[in-house]
Amino acid sequence: MYDFLIFTVTIAGIYAIMALGLNVLAGYSGLLNFGHIAFAGIGVYATGIAHARGWPVLVGIPLGMLAAMLLGWAMARLGRRLATDYWAIATLAVAEILRTVALNEAELTGGANGITGIPSLFESVPGPWNQVYFTTLVLGLVAVAAFLSVRLGDGRFGRALRLMREQPALAACMGYNLQTLKSHALMCGGAITALAGSLYAHYFNFAGTEFMLAAETFVLWTMVMIGGIGRTSGVLLGVIVVQMVYAFVPFLRDMLGFGSDVAGSLRLGMIGVILLCCLLWRREGLLPEKLRNPA
Amino acid sequence: MLQFLVDALLRTADLALITLGLSMLYGLIKFPNIAHVQYAMCGAFLAYAINSTGVPLVVALVLASLLTGLLTLVIQLLVFDRLLKSGPAIAMIGSLAVSMILVAAVLGMAGSFPRMFSVPYAEPLVIAGARLSKTQLWFVLTTLALLAVFVVLLFHTQVGRAMRALACNPALADASGLNATRITNGVTFISGMLAGLGGSMLALSTGAHVNLGYDLLLPVFAAAILGGLGNPIGAVAGALLIALTETVVTNINFGPLFGEALVFLPVSYISAASFLILLLALLFKPYGLFDREVRRV
Amino acid sequence: MKKRNFLKLCAGTLLVSGIASAAWAQETISVGAVLPLTGPSATVGEDIRRGIELGVEKVNANGGVLGKKLNVIIEDSGNNPTSAISAARKLATVDRVPAVMGEYSSSITLPMAQYLVKENVVHVNIGSSSNKVRELGPTAFNIIGLEENGNRFAAQDVYEMGYRNLALIAPNNAYGQGVAHGFKEEFEKLGGKVSAQVLYTGGQSTYRRELQQLARANPDAFLYTAYGHESAAINREAKELGLRNVPWYAYIMSMSVSDTPAEIAEGQIGMELGSVKGDLGKAYEDAFKAKHNEGFKTAFNGYGYDGVLLLAAAIEKGKGATPEAIAAGLKAVSEEGFTGVTGPIKLDEEGQRIDPPYDRLKYEGGGLVQR
Repeated sequence: MYDFLIFTVTIAGIYAIMALGLNVLAGYSGLLNFGHIAFAGIGVYATGIAHARGWPVLVGIPLGMLAAMLLGWAMARLGRRLATDYWAIATLAVAEILRTVALNEAELTGGANGITGIPSLFESVPGPWNQVYFTTLVLGLVAVAAFLSVRLGDGRFGRALRLMREQPALAACMGYNLQTLKSHALMCGGAITALAGSLYAHYFNFAGTEFMLAAETFVLWTMVMIGGIGRTSGVLLGVIVVQMVYAFVPFLRDMLGFGSDVAGSLRLGMIGVILLCCLLWRREGLLPEKLRNPA
Repeated sequence: MLQFLVDALLRTADLALITLGLSMLYGLIKFPNIAHVQYAMCGAFLAYAINSTGVPLVVALVLASLLTGLLTLVIQLLVFDRLLKSGPAIAMIGSLAVSMILVAAVLGMAGSFPRMFSVPYAEPLVIAGARLSKTQLWFVLTTLALLAVFVVLLFHTQVGRAMRALACNPALADASGLNATRITNGVTFISGMLAGLGGSMLALSTGAHVNLGYDLLLPVFAAAILGGLGNPIGAVAGALLIALTETVVTNINFGPLFGEALVFLPVSYISAASFLILLLALLFKPYGLFDREVRRV
Repeated sequence: MKKRNFLKLCAGTLLVSGIASAAWAQETISVGAVLPLTGPSATVGEDIRRGIELGVEKVNANGGVLGKKLNVIIEDSGNNPTSAISAARKLATVDRVPAVMGEYSSSITLPMAQYLVKENVVHVNIGSSSNKVRELGPTAFNIIGLEENGNRFAAQDVYEMGYRNLALIAPNNAYGQGVAHGFKEEFEKLGGKVSAQVLYTGGQSTYRRELQQLARANPDAFLYTAYGHESAAINREAKELGLRNVPWYAYIMSMSVSDTPAEIAEGQIGMELGSVKGDLGKAYEDAFKAKHNEGFKTAFNGYGYDGVLLLAAAIEKGKGATPEAIAAGLKAVSEEGFTGVTGPIKLDEEGQRIDPPYDRLKYEGGGLVQR
């Protein structure tokens, strides 16, 4: 039972880092990226490919982050002339294309089988301690990401992003290059998410494509929207809420004895209902964005 | 040779009705409704459910599409009208939530195993060497017929003119006395019906399964955007283009390049090719290939 | 306020289930199984589950293991590796089982088994045939035929029937790639040729394009292997495209026709993992039919049954229900000689079954019969 709790907490931590990455572009900048999971996928596969090629596996982490930044920059260029919702669909398409490539390029990514046997981060440490170390690392990274996120949000970059979100014309007038802002936001958010992706690969010792489905981006979006878009503590709250639903349903299933399909349906349905309720009645999320008082 | 064209036509039929509904509605309410493809999935399951109680197939299809239209309208009124007040972005995220709820509901009630319709097996028709089944033939004919109906509706009737006016300039249309709400509701209902019909007819061949919607999401949006939103002929043309790409590219034999008898592109790359076309279209011709009607990108 | 109550509910649930399972654990010995209970292979998953269930009943009717009742905790793999690994994790860390059987698809079994071996839990493969199963590790055992054997058998069978030019379609995963590669090798050793080969990606609604590519090779026969619902689509579309005038040979037949309607599957030929054999097999088959009012849906349920009985024997022999005792017990039981419903089971030094059985079958009158 203790191990299972560690498992849930670790997964929650990894998702929290991804959600914080999404928050930079969705929350602060208002960019509707529906293909965000591609960044995580890049992180997962960077680590996987590093392992498969025999490179020192930790190389996968910075490699993934760099690749994600490249993708972020490309996505920003894509959005130069597109309105928000068109761009959202375009990002969905980009994520799907990447997933298809990963599925087919067996030599690079192991194709449909993925890459197995990726070592955990603390292999040499025995017993349950390697788990504890890893979880501590993840939680530590969450704290770092959260701290950075708050500093970013309150700092000049964050304010510029918010301005771009609310009043793009004004931002342009004030001399901000909107394209550069978008680029930087995407690169930042993408890199953070890619880091989480690499952690995911280390945790499951496996890199596969099931992870890169559009459905996963939607889970991240739900976490960000439920909690409170634009506010770090809100995002963390959203992660906790979604994870609790996810973890609670299998126990409910064991107790009440219904099948896996119903369990899957309950998880998805509850998340959807919570998201919808939030959108209808508490649009800003459970912990709304703090607006600075002018005084 | 003819078989390729037939295959492309069949794939077009798979997509066309749903794309048509999406295009018309997107042009009017101006936000991408991700849940639209899930309406198709619901239609498929409704048709299966009705049919399995003994109701004849054609009646089941009609009933299912009517019910789907109703479902679409209800969701539009209860959810999207409210969300749209906060802007298209929130509405889009809301459509995401609706999409999840619909999939969850169907998954819980019908399970994840695909449901095949009990269509009695019939030998396929052979037309000049190309083969297709009777069900598929009906599908294509129905699609063409409905397309014809819509073209007539949009371009040669009062109602159609009103719809196009509303899509172009809502404020002016409202000012000229058109009842915007009634027309929007009507279009919503029809688009839902089309999605439901498209989904159920697709399910006749492939079975009703929960992923029916997700699988169609990108191809349908690609087709709708390629054709230009609000343009029904464009929607079907977009579907045709996507289908043609998918079919033709899979059938090119790269063997001679590699010195082997037969080398083909793996089929799963084809969906990637369609999305690539979509991206290129968005970059260079964002108003759609036919560049009329809705002018908002 | 809402969150607090929710948390209390969670804590209460955990506490209660914890106490209940602790009390119950005194009286039972549990092992685990991960099966595809949802997804395209659900029919097979359910079939294996039935075999396992019957095995548990048999063991408990004979007095259980080490004086306690045997229980198999079955988890759904959700047909993807990540859920399978999570399920295995739950079995290993929450339920603390010493051994886990499963899964079914090689690309899911391999990562899951790697995890189990790393955690020092015994893994028994009852459904996957990839050759990589052999290399899983010292605490991994296998009682079903691997591809190396299956490919040889199938290649021989096809060649003996006179076909020389083949087109092949298999899933794009560890299993399918293994079959495609291995079969081609064996078949070409005998002098045949595989002129076209397609690895299809699962979960699509149509496979027309793949079939079109294959048809261009003008083969003497098609060799195919596919999971339940996907093979139903492939079979149906092959018929619609008129490709059935040429014989279709199914590799692992019961899997490939499990969800195909009878009129389309009629007349197909194929090979299969050995189903039940001998008197033990007959008795098992009768018990199965009596319990479920229908016969076997696939050939895999017998392996589930044998897996359970083998583990029970190993626990008795090894005099303990720890992974080490079970591993030692399995080796000892194999030395002594064990006969299951799928025939005699003997394991080699790598824990793999020696001489696994195969059958030649054809589909006739709604069911599979021997040829």
